Amino acid sequence: MLFVIGDYLAGATIGAVTALGVRALVWPGMDMVIAMLLGMGVGTLVHLVIGLALAPLLGMFETMAPAMAIGMYGGMLFGMRDSMGAGSQTLAAALGVGVGFGVVVVFAFGLYDRSLRGVVVDAGD
Amino acid sequence: MDIATQRKWDAASRGYDFLSFADDRRLGPHKRRLFAKIRGATLMVAAGTGNDFKFFPPHQRILAIDISPAMLERAARKASRYEGELELRQMDVCALPLPDESFDTIVTVCTFCSVPKPIAGLRELHRVLRPDGQLLMFEHVRSKIGPLGIFLDLMTPLSRRFGPDLNRETVENVQKAGFRIRREENVYLDIVKIIEAVKTV
Repeated sequence: MLFVIGDYLAGATIGAVTALGVRALVWPGMDMVIAMLLGMGVGTLVHLVIGLALAPLLGMFETMAPAMAIGMYGGMLFGMRDSMGAGSQTLAAALGVGVGFGVVVVFAFGLYDRSLRGVVVDAGD
Repeated sequence: MDIATQRKWDAASRGYDFLSFADDRRLGPHKRRLFAKIRGATLMVAAGTGNDFKFFPPHQRILAIDISPAMLERAARKASRYEGELELRQMDVCALPLPDESFDTIVTVCTFCSVPKPIAGLRELHRVLRPDGQLLMFEHVRSKIGPLGIFLDLMTPLSRRFGPDLNRETVENVQKAGFRIRREENVYLDIVKIIEAVKTV
């Protein structure tokens, strides 16, 4: 149970820090393609640093797999939003969306893991 | 002996127990379930610091090998706590100084993500396994899920410098080495797997 709580806290932290980093670097009106690439770069860096720091406490793959999706895809989405100036006008709102995104991705990975887990091949001998 | 690999794992031995703290707890029950199938003379390849010895069923006869003397030094204390015969020896899985068909069970835990020539290593295991023997593996492999697989590919040049490759196709490598897959189970997504194989003569 503690690991599950840890997974969600890690996802929320990576989402929030990615949103914060993107908000600091992307301004409204920035070319959207550049903003998305920049966001992806920020998210990758954030998820590598935080993911690797938390992996000994939460498990290498259980941390890094959702962290990758939160950092890379979240960074791109946050970059797109911030370049358009569309929504989350305050920093608190942007952080809240980052936390929410992280939690949703961790939940989705949990569901996906449950659907994949189990026997793939059983020759019956 | 592959000296570069030996040095890499000697260096990794210092932080190994810390890095595997959570994996031990999250994945331990799955390892215990797999190791319950151990029977007869058993070879464990890549013992590491001996973290997995506690998941072995008691009263078995196990030879545990590793390429790194520093890993084996740390494993010695854990081996002494095992209730059974557990011998530690330094060996390279790609050149095992062991007779043909001498083991009933071979166990690996996150081993073939690290062996530089995995098929050569697996062929050595095929050689030392008895015809009715079994290969029990707990391994992480490259994901078949598009973005995750690409991510593991991208991370591997970095991870390889300090530890394992993240994009090994171990199930396919086991088959290429002459084994038949008896059972394959996903433990986390399609990355962490239990692979059970038998020897095809």
